[in-house]
Amino acid sequence: MVQNQETTQSEVAPAAPTPAAQASVPRVRRRGLLSHGEGAVARVGIVTAALVVGVLSLSSWWTLRTYHAQEQASRERELLSVSGVLTSSIESLMSNGDITGVRRLVADAAVLQGLSGCRVVIDGVGILADAEPSRITVAKLPEAKGNAAAVSDGLTSGSLDRGEGGLLRVRTSLAVAGQNDVALEVSRAGTASTFGPWEVQAGIAGIAALGMGGLLMAYRQMRMRWRGLGAIRESLMIEAQGDAVAGELEVGQAMGPEAAAWNGVVREREKLRRLLALEKAAEKIAQRSGAGGELSAACDAMWHGLLVLDDKARITYANGAAAVLLNVKREELLEKPVREVFEDESIATAAEALATGRTRQRAIADVTRPGTERTVLRLTAKPMRREESGRAIVVVEDVTQQKVAEESRGAFVAQATHELRTPLTNIRLYVETLVEEGETDPAVRAKCLNVVQSEVRRLERIVGDMLSVAEIEAGQLKLRSAEVRLDQLFAELEADLRVGAEDKEIKLVFDLPPKFGVMSADRDKLMLALHNIVGNAIKYTPAGGTVSVRVTEEGPHLRVDVVDNGIGIKAEEQELVFERFYRAKDRRLANITGSGIGLALARQVVRLHGGDITVASAIDKGSTFTITVPISNGLSMRAAA
Amino acid sequence: MEIQEQRQGAVTVLKPCGPLIMGDATEFGQRLSEVVTRSLGRLVVDASGVAYVDSTGLETLVAATEDMAAGGRALRLCGANETVREVLDLTGLSDRFEHYEDLTTAVRSFL
Repeated sequence: MVQNQETTQSEVAPAAPTPAAQASVPRVRRRGLLSHGEGAVARVGIVTAALVVGVLSLSSWWTLRTYHAQEQASRERELLSVSGVLTSSIESLMSNGDITGVRRLVADAAVLQGLSGCRVVIDGVGILADAEPSRITVAKLPEAKGNAAAVSDGLTSGSLDRGEGGLLRVRTSLAVAGQNDVALEVSRAGTASTFGPWEVQAGIAGIAALGMGGLLMAYRQMRMRWRGLGAIRESLMIEAQGDAVAGELEVGQAMGPEAAAWNGVVREREKLRRLLALEKAAEKIAQRSGAGGELSAACDAMWHGLLVLDDKARITYANGAAAVLLNVKREELLEKPVREVFEDESIATAAEALATGRTRQRAIADVTRPGTERTVLRLTAKPMRREESGRAIVVVEDVTQQKVAEESRGAFVAQATHELRTPLTNIRLYVETLVEEGETDPAVRAKCLNVVQSEVRRLERIVGDMLSVAEIEAGQLKLRSAEVRLDQLFAELEADLRVGAEDKEIKLVFDLPPKFGVMSADRDKLMLALHNIVGNAIKYTPAGGTVSVRVTEEGPHLRVDVVDNGIGIKAEEQELVFERFYRAKDRRLANITGSGIGLALARQVVRLHGGDITVASAIDKGSTFTITVPISNGLSMRAAA
Repeated sequence: MEIQEQRQGAVTVLKPCGPLIMGDATEFGQRLSEVVTRSLGRLVVDASGVAYVDSTGLETLVAATEDMAAGGRALRLCGANETVREVLDLTGLSDRFEHYEDLTTAVRSFL
């Protein structure tokens, strides 16, 4: 009977106090709802439901079981007590021989106590009294046996016996005078069901049903919302694993305000990403095209090259001048490691060290760029003081002209010292001789004085040259123009050079026009120029040669041709000899002293006068230097700034 | 037209001798371009021998100075006479060049 009730209940309610049945039902319900976003939520739901149901059924079961056990125990106790009371009454009645009384008592007790069976039994004889009179088999007590010592000791405890179907039976031996084997048997049905009365079960089932129903309703309500959160969580997981494609991260809008907010955030982020990418692209474009941006324009207007290196020593920016000076296209400079661009080891290493933050020291290196024309670049690498420790700039300067000037100065000083030494030594020697012997020997005295005089003049010229060069270098060469009498000028020139030429056995010829005019010129400088040219002719012509100076007037110009048959100048060097400190690479020059500035100076002076010097020459055949100077016009009055 | 070329240290000086017009101007332009590249912009145009310029001449000069602008430089002119200077001013091209009174100053500007 009890089992049937159980089965019925499990069909009616979604949950019954049987854990197995309960667990399967919720799962069936939810399987169809496991879709996008459901996964997490469903799991939570199932676990919650299972827990609730499990707890509920466990507590119900325990309660009912305990209740039942208590019920049973109480019934047993009752039966025992009833039996005990009946025993004493029956014993006393039987002692008095009141069989009728016993029968009446048994019948009443059965009715009043709700006993299913109540009887007095004489073993081996029959039933003396019974609640059901038809079962009585013994009319009266048998003969007394003789053991009169049977005394009722109060409540005799019977033995309880649990029969099938929960039937309880108590058998108590009665102490009756003169009788053996008399017993009272009472019996009663057990508790109605293992789980208590049907109201309890129904009640629990009903409450459970209501509870599950409530849970389901609540779940339904929250489903959408929770799905939204579940979907967001899934999107976050996708994002965490790698870069999700835009649009993948958005969730269904219908899933509630959280979903809408999430979508908003995702879209915002996409927008910002796109903006950033655009900005970066624009920056790169601006960088490459060199246009756009005031700063960029300013950098491109600089005549020094500027390179910016990142912390891995790669070039991130190069201005226009950098590309020009390094002779590399701007696009080819970007993203290159600095080592690739600079062949010079020291500057490449220094730049790298600065860019990667290893040192903070500036580094400067002068490198010569290979090419047809000599170019010296000064590269300065310097760290950039920004938040990140590693970044650097490299400034590229064209210092060729400065280098040339430095070298000139150096060479000039060296040469000049050398040049001055010879005449000074000579002067000293001859003065010493003069002091020692000159007083006594007039011939010696005359000679010494002559030599001293010419050496002094030589010194004067050299010093004059040096001063002129210095003035030219400083841009201060000024022509002090005056009226110059050309005839006197050339006469002086001849006088100066004659002795030297004679010493070398060179024939010096002056071919001058019959009528010489005057011209506006700086006499000293002009003399200097002429002296250098003619002096050179003599210097570079071996003994026995001829140097002729032919002066003519060609229209507004004065033309001076200085012809020699000396060692000549190679074609390639004919322009070069006019450069400062240039000396021809002819072996024969090794024995001839020369500062290398004579021609440069002469040309500068002549040009300042508005004229020029040219040369025609052939090796071993001699050279012809031609000076052309305008005689009279404003140009020759021009002074150098 | 004769184009004189001389060196002063590391600086090349080009001196066109004649008016900078038409074919002569074009020829000068080519020479100029070659020198600009070779000398990395270390050059001076001595205009003291140029009596006047026409539009071709101007174009030539402007082309050269624009070329150099990529490296932050401008063409240095010296000795330009009044006519030439006026032309440059009127056409608004004067600012694109660096002007010097004489050759020495122009050359010294490279130091």
